[in-house]
Amino acid sequence: MWIYEKKLQYPVRVCRPNPRLAKEIITQYGGPDGELSASLRYLTQRYTMPTGQAIATLTDIGTEELAHMEIVAALVYQLVKDAPLHEIKEAGLSSYYADHDRALYFVNASGVPWTAAYIQSKGDPIADLHENMAAEEKARATYEWLINLSDDPDVTDVLKFLRQREVVHFQRFGETLMRVQDYLQCKKVY
Amino acid sequence: MQNEQMELMQRLRELEFAAVELNLFLDTHPENQEALRDFNRVACELAEVRQTYENKFGPTMNFGVSTSKGRWQWIDGPWPWQVGY
Amino acid sequence: MIGPYKMRLARAYIPFQRYGQVWSPAEGLRRGTIFPELFSPYIPRDKGSCGTCQ
Repeated sequence: MWIYEKKLQYPVRVCRPNPRLAKEIITQYGGPDGELSASLRYLTQRYTMPTGQAIATLTDIGTEELAHMEIVAALVYQLVKDAPLHEIKEAGLSSYYADHDRALYFVNASGVPWTAAYIQSKGDPIADLHENMAAEEKARATYEWLINLSDDPDVTDVLKFLRQREVVHFQRFGETLMRVQDYLQCKKVY
Repeated sequence: MQNEQMELMQRLRELEFAAVELNLFLDTHPENQEALRDFNRVACELAEVRQTYENKFGPTMNFGVSTSKGRWQWIDGPWPWQVGY
Repeated sequence: MIGPYKMRLARAYIPFQRYGQVWSPAEGLRRGTIFPELFSPYIPRDKGSCGTCQ
């Protein structure tokens, strides 16, 4: 069950409206390596993990990714909220605007809608944990490209925070893999 | 949002972040007593700061974790993506 | 600590983090982790740049 806390894990403010940057950042909302993908991947894999430790890690990281999704949403929301329509057009967001105005929607940077094909829940804990470690590296890399693209220091600050979280998550999934592998190895002996 | 509210909210953010980090560490190191001790200490301080914040500025959580006084405060803004915080 | 003689083929190994110094909650939030040994800052740089213009 989930409880909601009315507070962002990391504060978000932007220097000025920037629809161009919003169009790029939205990929971490609804794109293949974004926070929605991460949270749903872990939250759906956890049901078939073999140990309480693995279930706890997937549940907790999956929950934290929902909080990160909210941060990305806040970034996009603030970057377009006061942008005049001509800037939205110049940023190449006319098509998005036609369907959504300035609302949040789950798409990547090219406007391709989110799909469950972005995630896997193989049921094999080794495969799933390797998928998760890869996912964290892909997310980290994506934040690096977004940091390269950002010309707003307040936005860059938030992106750096989110990127560092992926590094920590990678380590935790790695540790979980070690524990699960040992557990499965022990089980085989009997 | 006034200064005092922003400062208390930031303190809440800091403590909860430390709690999340320790929570994740303990998930993969469940036998670590030092980390457990630090987690419990942070959790305690977090609860106190949350109580202080809520007494002055209203509920931070839904579904019965926080209470509302006088009127249903949960619907009040600002919501996290508004007003920069 | 797993020694090389105990490592198997066809599997990955990640060393376990050991609990040491932690940053204060304020410092930790600023950096994105309370653990100094996991802190890994990124210097913005696009690979395609010539190195002189940045």
